[in-house]
Amino acid sequence: MDKTAESIKSKFLELGVDIPLEDIVERLDKLVTKFKVPLDEARRSVITYFLKENDLDRNAFFGGQSTTPDSRSTPDVKLNGIDEGGKWVNIKAKVLQLWDSSHESVSQVGIIGDETATIKFIKWSRDTIPDVEEGKSYYFKNVVSNEWNGRFELTLNKNTVVEELDEDIEVISSPMAGAGDGQPAPMVNIADIAEDGKWVSIRAKVSQLWDNSHESISQVGLVGDSTGTIKFIKWTSADLPDLTEGNSYLFNNVVAQEWNEKFSVTLNKNSSIEELDEDIEVASSSITFAGAMVDVQSGSGLIKRCPECKRALTKGACMEHGKVDGTYDLRIKAVLDDGNTAQESILKRELAEQISGITLDDAISMAADALDQGVVLDQMRLKLLGKYFTVTGSKVDRYILVDSIEPQDGMDMEMLDELIADAEMI
Amino acid sequence: MAGYVREVSRRVFAQEFRESNLTFKDGDDQYSPQYLLTPTGAKVNRLFIVGTLIEKEDIGTDSEYWRGRVSDPTGSFMIYAGQYQPEAAQALAECETPAFVAIVGKPSTYTNAEGTVFTSVRPESISIVDVDTRDLWVADTARRTLERVKDLDNMDSNVVKAKEHYNTDKDHYSSMVREALRSLKEDL
Ligand SMILES: [Zn+2]
Repeated sequence: MDKTAESIKSKFLELGVDIPLEDIVERLDKLVTKFKVPLDEARRSVITYFLKENDLDRNAFFGGQSTTPDSRSTPDVKLNGIDEGGKWVNIKAKVLQLWDSSHESVSQVGIIGDETATIKFIKWSRDTIPDVEEGKSYYFKNVVSNEWNGRFELTLNKNTVVEELDEDIEVISSPMAGAGDGQPAPMVNIADIAEDGKWVSIRAKVSQLWDNSHESISQVGLVGDSTGTIKFIKWTSADLPDLTEGNSYLFNNVVAQEWNEKFSVTLNKNSSIEELDEDIEVASSSITFAGAMVDVQSGSGLIKRCPECKRALTKGACMEHGKVDGTYDLRIKAVLDDGNTAQESILKRELAEQISGITLDDAISMAADALDQGVVLDQMRLKLLGKYFTVTGSKVDRYILVDSIEPQDGMDMEMLDELIADAEMI
Repeated sequence: MAGYVREVSRRVFAQEFRESNLTFKDGDDQYSPQYLLTPTGAKVNRLFIVGTLIEKEDIGTDSEYWRGRVSDPTGSFMIYAGQYQPEAAQALAECETPAFVAIVGKPSTYTNAEGTVFTSVRPESISIVDVDTRDLWVADTARRTLERVKDLDNMDSNVVKAKEHYNTDKDHYSSMVREALRSLKEDL
């Protein structure tokens, strides 16, 4: 650090300014030791500071880079020869199934097969490759194998060329159990759905129907049984009767699909639905989520509730009971974010008091002093934003109704060592 | 499909953020969200940063326009807040330097006449935090960055796009993460 300080000093001397070395050392030391700033950033900051102090100009420089990928020659292989990810291959195969894709970024997804095996394939929307058709055979040139949870799939990419073949590629027999060939797929519990592309049957209750703006989707929501809940998508093309929230059904021949480590089931034209008389019990599961509080949403802080139905009032009115004399309450609608998921969480009064340190009485008098309920929210944001918390509660729609919340305390050394070991293995 | 989905706040170290220059829109209309794609394939519409505010300056002419520099173990982020980020601008105006700050914000890019792309952050919120939160963020960001580095072998469309554009060097980013983590260990 002393060396850095001396070099800064001599640089300024060249510019005709003499700065006492101890002044430079002091600023550097504070940044590096107390505020953990890397030495070169601290050096830059100290230089900026003294340039400004002495009315001197400064220059900055930055960098960037880009290149194009290389081309390669690709081997022809059979599907059972695909045994590693990241390989470029040519494949002659027949399209066995096309699944409806619920993601805009995916233009086609499904199963292709040859006489040795079947495999999932994905075609991205950003690549302008003509669509393939079910039942037709193609020569797929320059596709990439990809390993995902121990299974392989093929990705079409911008270097891929797809040629339709005149021949009908022979396909390994019984590739898919119960793929709409009259035989119903096996009955499973929702918690056991763990294989992408598998055909299953489930008995479940429609626990939620969600708003849906896609023309290709007729209904979307959650179904549940005693083991868990899962998202379902019913395609318009499936031409199935509408489901009612709260009713239980037998879903025959639906397809499990995995996306970002989450499973859903899709109801397609090979699926069937039977309404059940019984009321299937749906598991309520408690989940834990850890992340930084990145937002305390409006509607948090000091609120008023309808004395009859407990709904939060909007501008003094209940949407059910109109203008009412509300009772005060505290709540926090927080967004916790772990870098992969933004999780909305609702904290009741006791928990809001616990983590904000503001009691309901405090909040009422703060609002009275300021003639503004908003000051409570402001204080809560000040206190909570940017900090790490762990919450436990029940997941309802997109919210966690929080039962307990704890601030994450300091660094877990074991975890840090694990991370370092992990980083060294790459 | 289930209505509005909030954009996740990605974790990216300053060095990787600075080395990013590829932006794209997800969709065609003017309301489609804009993303910055980083060399390890993070698709960033929002990010969460904790670091040391080491410089701040009001560079506005007519109205206040604050520029701040926030350092992490790998480099620094530039932060700009003006009249459209009133809460953040006020927080920057009131904040002393140096100080540990947590920032939630949107990535922004500026291309100069020579075609060089500069990245910066438009904060939605800035709050003062303690050194523990700063250390948790470094570990958190290290973990997410390592996940992305490992996923560089996948054929996820963002990863493919990032690799094509940046010709991403795995070692460059894994050694960045190692050094950030080691700095954490030395401090403790
Ligand atoms: Zn009411």
